[in-house]
Amino acid sequence: MSAELTEADILRVRAGIREKYDRMAAAGVSGGFRYPTGREGMALLGYPLEQLTDFPPEVLATFCGVGNPFSLGPLAPGDAVLDIGCGAGVDSLVAGRLVGPGGRVVGLDATPDMVARARSNLARLPMAPVSFQTGEAENLPFPDREFDVVISNGVFNLTIDKARSLGEAHRVLKPGGRLMVADMVLVAALPPDLGDKVDNWFQ
Amino acid sequence: MLQTGFHRVKLAGYTGFKSSPYTEGALFYGERLAAGQVAEIISPASEPEPAPLNDPRCEPGGA
Repeated sequence: MSAELTEADILRVRAGIREKYDRMAAAGVSGGFRYPTGREGMALLGYPLEQLTDFPPEVLATFCGVGNPFSLGPLAPGDAVLDIGCGAGVDSLVAGRLVGPGGRVVGLDATPDMVARARSNLARLPMAPVSFQTGEAENLPFPDREFDVVISNGVFNLTIDKARSLGEAHRVLKPGGRLMVADMVLVAALPPDLGDKVDNWFQ
Repeated sequence: MLQTGFHRVKLAGYTGFKSSPYTEGALFYGERLAAGQVAEIISPASEPEPAPLNDPRCEPGGA
């Protein structure tokens, strides 16, 4: 679809996404979704809450994923994990718990306010192997073959160039590395009055 | 995902979480080939079906 977008459309999409997630970061993240978020959403999705009993409720409350990437396979102690579009960082913190102190988790998000929120969550639950930084899925700021596992939750649908984003995920994975993604997909045709609206990207 | 070099690519399932009547969460998996490994393609025929469109978890109001 990116070939159909003008440069002005692309700027508008990026600005709209950033504004939306800046607002969400300021408002506490989990509001404004049509599906369950926070601890309730994590429970419904089968997150290993029994391993997260020390996660403060206010940290779990910032979860707003659309699925459970960890249901796609185990993380091993010592794994290096990249969380693309980490948002408030709950999945990164879960990954940090699963890989243990010998592992490494990097949460990446395009929205500086979300990265600040993720760092705030990390400060409430110090984990040595977890860090957060800003960056975009289409231009991952990492060398080739850096990670054992790449996870993402509700982010690729927001990217302008999905093939490039997936190519970047492939580039930073080690040989044999795994991509485990939850994301929103179309399951029914959009009505004609909705199908071509750029604003749908960030509604 | 296949076009970008992943193998063992699969749509593992839908999550039941809907952001609109037209969109639903889904789970995707893929692997980067290891040295000496032969690409393995999983049949799309094994892909699951999405949840019914009137899933009650899709509540009005929100993003």
